[in-house]
Amino acid sequence: MKWKNQTTFQIHGLNQEKTLSEIAKVVTLSKINRENKTDTTFECPYLKHKKVEKILKNKGFQIISMRHEGILWRLKKIATSYGLVLGVAVFFILQTVAAQFVVQYQITGVDKQTQTEIVNFVKTNFSNKKSALNTKQVEISLMENFDSISFVSCMIKGQTLIVNIKEKLMPNEIYGQFKPIIAQSDAKISEISLISGTLTVKVGDFVRKGDVLVEPFVVDSSGSIKKVEAKAEILGEVYNLGASQHFSSRVEVSRTGKKVVQNSILLFGLEIYTFKEENNFKLYETESEDVNLIKNLPLPFKLKKTTFFELQEQTIESNFEDVKDEFIEKAKQKALQNVENCDKIIEEFYTLRHQSNATFVDYCIVTSESIEAFEGD
Amino acid sequence: MFNFLEEIKENLKDSAGLDNFNLINLSGKLLYVEGHLGLVTLSKEIISFKVKKAIVIVEGENLILSELSDNTIKICGAIKKVEEI
Repeated sequence: MKWKNQTTFQIHGLNQEKTLSEIAKVVTLSKINRENKTDTTFECPYLKHKKVEKILKNKGFQIISMRHEGILWRLKKIATSYGLVLGVAVFFILQTVAAQFVVQYQITGVDKQTQTEIVNFVKTNFSNKKSALNTKQVEISLMENFDSISFVSCMIKGQTLIVNIKEKLMPNEIYGQFKPIIAQSDAKISEISLISGTLTVKVGDFVRKGDVLVEPFVVDSSGSIKKVEAKAEILGEVYNLGASQHFSSRVEVSRTGKKVVQNSILLFGLEIYTFKEENNFKLYETESEDVNLIKNLPLPFKLKKTTFFELQEQTIESNFEDVKDEFIEKAKQKALQNVENCDKIIEEFYTLRHQSNATFVDYCIVTSESIEAFEGD
Repeated sequence: MFNFLEEIKENLKDSAGLDNFNLINLSGKLLYVEGHLGLVTLSKEIISFKVKKAIVIVEGENLILSELSDNTIKICGAIKKVEEI
C-alpha cells in the first residue's frame, strides 16, 4: 500500500499540452506520460484531484480512469463505505442502552393534576431502569398512597411506563364539606326538603339563630355512621320586629339664646390669666375650646374659651291617637330594615301596649325565607 | 537560502538577460527547467515548451514529463538534444 496521497488520471483528448499547462498553474502534476497522441496518464495530489477533474471536464476531456492511492484516500473510503454501517451500529448501541430505561410515563384514567402527582410519585420512589422497575410493586404502592384509586395496572411498553387507573366511584353526597347546616335566623320551620344528611328539626319547630338543622352524616342499616355532605332546603317563617314609643307628656330642653363667656390663658396647663363674666344661669350647658394664643412662639400659651348657654325646660303634651299612624309607620320602617333578603312577606301586624304615660308600638312582619347556612359561613 | 544558479549569475560580469529561464541537464537523463511558460509539444520523443522570447525543444527517447508545475518542468528519459529556437 502506498502512503503518498496521489491520484492517477488517464485521459483521452486532443490539445493536451495546453490543458496540462493550465492545470499546472494551480496543481503540480507528475509522471506525465504521453502514450500516444490522444492518451496521457499523469498524477496529481489526491487532495487536488477534484480541481483537476473539473478542469479536464470543462475542457472536454474524457477521463478514462481515475485511480487514487494513499492513506487519506483509504481513510475516506472506509468512512464512506462503512459510514452507514457504522452509523447503524452506533444507533443500535445507543438504542440498546436507551432501551434499558423508562423515559416516558403515560397515565390514563385520572385528571391532569393527579397524573402529575402520580408521575412525580413514581419518579421519586422507583428507578427508571427497566430491570429494576417492578410494575407489581408500582401498582401496590400507588394503591396504598392514593385513596382515590380503586384499580391500577402498570406495564412497560418500549420506553414508556403505562399506568392505567380506575378511580373509586363514590356518590356525590360524600364529597364536599362535612359541616352541619345551621339556622341563620330565629324562625319557625315551614318547609323542609332534605337532600342528604340527618335532620334535627321538623316542620313547625321554632329554632334560634345558630341551631343545627341538618347533621353531616347518615346512619345506615347496620347502625354505623357515614359522613355525607349536609344538603337541604329549609324554609322558615321569620318574625321581623320594629318598635317605636310615644310619651303623652315629655320635657324638651332648649337654649334661650343667652350666653356667658369665660376666657383663661394657660401655660403648661397652669392658669396664668383669667377673665370671667358672672354666670347666673340656673340651667345651662357649656362648650369650650383650646387655641394657641400666639403662633411660632416656643412657649405654648393657650387660650381656653368656655361658653355657658342658658337652657329652658318646656313640657310638651300630645295625644297618641293624633300621631298614631306616624308611630306605626316608624315601627314598620324599622321592621322592614330586617326583611331585605326575604323571599316573600306572609303577614304583617302591629300591637299597641299602653302604660301610664307611654304607648309602645310593636310592628311585626312575618316573612318566608331560606334559613339554612353552613357553620362558619 | 543558498541558490547555486544565483551564485553563478552573480559571478558573471554581464548577467543581463540571464533571468529568462534556467535549464539543468543531469547526465542526459534528467532535465530540470525553471521559468517555462507552458507546454507546446508532448510526446515520447519530443517535449517542447515556451520560455520568455523563445521555445525550447527537448529531443530524446522514452521521454516522460516527471513533473510539471506553474514554472518548473522535470523531464526524464534519454535526452539527446536541447535546442532553443
